[in-house]
Amino acid sequence: MTLKLKVNGQNVELAIPPTTPLLNALRNDLALNGPKYGCGLGECGACSVLVDGMAARACVLTVASVVGREVTTLDGLADKGRLDPVQQAFIDAQAAQCGYCLNGMIISIRSLLNHTSTPSSEQIGAALEHHLCRCGTHLEILDAAHRAVALNVMALGGIDD
Amino acid sequence: MTERHSTLKSYTTALPAGFENLRYGVVVRPPHYRWNGEHFACDRLAHVDTLALKTLPYDARAVIEGNFVGVVADSIENARDAAKCLILSWQAHDPIAATPAQKARVNKKSHKAPVHQKNGVADIEGSHADRYERDYGWPSRMRWGETEGWVVAEYRNNHLAVWTQTTTPQALRQDLSTLTALDADQITLYTSEGTERRVASGLGRHCGDDAAVDAALMARALGHPVAVWLDAQYSIDVKALGQAQRLSLSAAFGEGDHIERYRYRQAHASGEVVAVGLLLSGRALVPGVLTNTEKPLYSPYTFQNAHLSAHTGRLSGQALNDTLLGIQQTFARESFLDEVAHARGQDPLALRLRYLGDARGRELIESVAKRADWQIDLPSRSATSDVLQGRGLAYAQLPDRQQRLESGVRSAWIADVEVNRITGNVQLTRLVVGQDSGVEVDTARLQHTLQARVLGEARPLLGSEPAFDEWGDGRLEDKQNKPLARRQPSLERQVIASNEAPSALPVTLEDTELSPGVAVIANALFDATGIRFRQPPFTASRVRQALQEHDLEASTGRNSLFLSGKSRSPRRQWFAAAAFMTVAGSAAMAWPWKGAIVPVSRPAATLYSDETIERGRLVAAAGDCAACHTVAGGATNTGGHAFETPFGTLYSTNITPDEATGIGQWSYAAFERAMRHGISRDGRHLYPAFPYTAFAKTSDADLQALYAYLMAQPAVSASAPQNDLSFPFNVRALMAPWNALYHDPKPFQPDPAQSELYNRGAYLAEGLGHCSACHSPRNAMGAEKDGKYYFAGAMVDGWEAPALNTLSRSPIGWSENSLYDYLRHGESALHGVASGPMAPVVAGLSELPEYDVRAIAHYVAQQMEAPSGNGKAQQAEAQRRVAAAAVSPNGMEEGERLFDGACAACHLDNGLPSFTRARTSLALNTNLYSERPDNVIQSILGGVHADTVPDVGNMPGFADSFSDTQVATLATYLRARFAPDAPPWQQLEQRVAAIRQPHHNNTHSSL
Repeated sequence: MTLKLKVNGQNVELAIPPTTPLLNALRNDLALNGPKYGCGLGECGACSVLVDGMAARACVLTVASVVGREVTTLDGLADKGRLDPVQQAFIDAQAAQCGYCLNGMIISIRSLLNHTSTPSSEQIGAALEHHLCRCGTHLEILDAAHRAVALNVMALGGIDD
Repeated sequence: MTERHSTLKSYTTALPAGFENLRYGVVVRPPHYRWNGEHFACDRLAHVDTLALKTLPYDARAVIEGNFVGVVADSIENARDAAKCLILSWQAHDPIAATPAQKARVNKKSHKAPVHQKNGVADIEGSHADRYERDYGWPSRMRWGETEGWVVAEYRNNHLAVWTQTTTPQALRQDLSTLTALDADQITLYTSEGTERRVASGLGRHCGDDAAVDAALMARALGHPVAVWLDAQYSIDVKALGQAQRLSLSAAFGEGDHIERYRYRQAHASGEVVAVGLLLSGRALVPGVLTNTEKPLYSPYTFQNAHLSAHTGRLSGQALNDTLLGIQQTFARESFLDEVAHARGQDPLALRLRYLGDARGRELIESVAKRADWQIDLPSRSATSDVLQGRGLAYAQLPDRQQRLESGVRSAWIADVEVNRITGNVQLTRLVVGQDSGVEVDTARLQHTLQARVLGEARPLLGSEPAFDEWGDGRLEDKQNKPLARRQPSLERQVIASNEAPSALPVTLEDTELSPGVAVIANALFDATGIRFRQPPFTASRVRQALQEHDLEASTGRNSLFLSGKSRSPRRQWFAAAAFMTVAGSAAMAWPWKGAIVPVSRPAATLYSDETIERGRLVAAAGDCAACHTVAGGATNTGGHAFETPFGTLYSTNITPDEATGIGQWSYAAFERAMRHGISRDGRHLYPAFPYTAFAKTSDADLQALYAYLMAQPAVSASAPQNDLSFPFNVRALMAPWNALYHDPKPFQPDPAQSELYNRGAYLAEGLGHCSACHSPRNAMGAEKDGKYYFAGAMVDGWEAPALNTLSRSPIGWSENSLYDYLRHGESALHGVASGPMAPVVAGLSELPEYDVRAIAHYVAQQMEAPSGNGKAQQAEAQRRVAAAAVSPNGMEEGERLFDGACAACHLDNGLPSFTRARTSLALNTNLYSERPDNVIQSILGGVHADTVPDVGNMPGFADSFSDTQVATLATYLRARFAPDAPPWQQLEQRVAAIRQPHHNNTHSSL
């Protein structure tokens, strides 16, 4: 039995058990290593991906549960070689120490901006709340998030959307 | 979320669009009402109290006219619940005083009990000496409808518009006109059937007409458009209206079996019964008398002494349906002649030719017979033991529009049918039709029409005639791939049935003389089964019932059947022989009470037809055999699954057809004994961990199909481990007194006072579904308690199976719709997902048709006394609880830290989109409100794996990351935060430790 997925805009077919965790399928079968294996318990957020534009923890999702939906990983955020504004903001702010958590941070802010292009500081905090960083780069990450909001608005061509 | 799961199929969201102020109506029928063939009789509405409607939080109004009671509200659920609030007192109708005609009939001597008095199914009586008499019937309603759907009526400015499904538009138009006193041109009928447009087949009405009149009656009374939901519930009208027409025939024989005298009598001239709403509201017109203008009756055959008559006239003002009358007459006459031929040992074809004077007719019959290769006795061609084949003949000649018989259309039909002995399903496999005028006959289309109208094609959806053991076919396309809109009638404005309706019919049907169609099937059915069906339709459930009764009679009178073979037709003899030579045997075959049943070799894979095996697959899915008979990671049904009981460990067995280790050597008799009485083929008693106490309720047909299915699966060699039971429980013989005390092997009996839906649900839930095996507590001897303990909840496999009766502790009350969502989709918006041992149950149920799952939900809702839908009060209560749980309680910092770290990412709603957030708040979770912490501890340790629920993440288990203390702290915190009105759980740590060690834990024990 094969499962038909749409990952980063590509249609893929996987001959794996339907209960395989999405994270395993992305990393092991599709070689998409943007999402990281952290706790495996949905606690740390390192494995986050976008499902239909919404943040999702790939370690607690089965492959079967995303059939018919669009999965986007960090690897697929850039558009024709042009980095997503959120990615650019994290580079600009030099928000990485070890960088292991940044996949989740970036995905979560991307999900937030898909929901609202002008989030409040509280909303940014809420979006990042259950993403663990153990290096202590929290302030840089917050800076990057705020910068991402601005870059995203510019990319959209103003805040009148 | 609810929207997503509504799947558009349930009526909750399938709201007809485009009507202003649309209201939803339900009707309440009297406890007893019936049409006895000539008169309508019903209980009288003595008093009605509608005060309670005013106390409801929504607008609900009653419509009372005569004995018609309807309730209209802003949603169908509210209308249903409001209807329950009405206080109605009915004055019982005196059956003896009101049916003088029937009484007189009963008193008449020499009348054999007509078939309709034996539940309208069939009888298998033989012949009489020199006289042959038979009664035939025609139902008032062929079935409840085509597909379930909305029926809407709008009454405005002296114009009535009705959206419905109907096969008899003229009759419906006439009824609506009688109801409203509007002229025909002030009434517009619209089809509600989506793309395919069904046309009048002339074979009789269904309840789409009754629903239309119900809707029109309420719409007119209230001045709003009213929508009524048409579904199998309307089969109550099918039953109540019973027979529309009774046709009595007799023949007296002279020398050489010559028919000397022929009598034909029909009960009345109309042959149709008006809509129930008209009868109840007292608007139906009184029966008229026979007048000279009534059309004379015809017969194409010439007998020496023939007399044809009708007993009464028709209701004045009622349309005369020539087509239907012609079909009724032909059905009775052609069935009768076929019976006479068989009774006198004659070829049915030769008998007809003998009395047919008309040369053109004779020529036509002979040419059709030649083309169909008619023979008196066909060799058996069936490849499987469960399919019977038969062939029938029928002929008709009806007068033309000017009442001239000579220039009328003649038609001769020969049909081949296949009857599935187990499912009762009848397939019209071949049809040869000859007609001596008009256009060429489209036999393919005719075949399709007859299959649908007479044999019931709608069964895959809902059962054209719902019966408690009727299955959908399970291969429903809408299960996965099909867009769900199909069942939702788009109320497009496509006018049907203009006043010149006949011209709207397609040429092939209009110009085809349809009348032999029903008789030809009845005759072929007799040829196949030896059973005479004297009233259509020949739905699977009726055929199945008749076959079972026949089997029973055949087995009890086995010897006489063989000895008296001479007086019976050769075909019947063949049938009787075939029934006993199959390996499977018949349902009624006797088996020894104790002791071994002789092993047989494994039945051939081709013994049963695909259809039977498919039915068996559904039975297996409903019984969820594989859940217990498969070990994790093992091959399906090979056994070995361990059950921890208070008496020791039991292992399930291999039920694949492997001869050495499985059930390959089991005859059907052995299988049936195990399922009904818990005795293995070798005579050993089985333990009731195998829920034969519930399976005993399964119908014969379902058990046979299940046997067919299991025997058709791959044989796998696998031996189950030995049971490990403590003394004295390891003495199997002790199960004999246990069974005497606690086991009732009686098959399921539907409750006539309950709806079809309820009975279907009860059959599935009490029998195959064995819900009570987990959800009812057991006594010290391991037997389920009943009475007030039925569905009172119990512990199974370390999980608590919550109460499904009024003791339910769910924070938000269940509704029928919530139960349906939970069972069908594994998730209910106000209660959460199915997990633990319930998850595989939901997975098994996904194989079942929607109607079956709805039936189970309906049955369980009745046990809970739950409403149909979620009212505003429930929604508000849910919101209140969720809001109250938003704040963490004081003084529980340790628990809060654990919750924030491990749970909050998915279980707290921060208002931002997330695909992996739990959709149902923990504040609505029944487990947190339970007396016992077990399910919460199980979920924390092992996680929640809702693989069958779409779009939901799996909760990981925390057994490896949390200590017992941490789990206890977290559980305490969850209880305090999300179930603040419940007392804290005690001794949590010990409980966590016990649950971590599943093998030291009691299961299947009572509370």
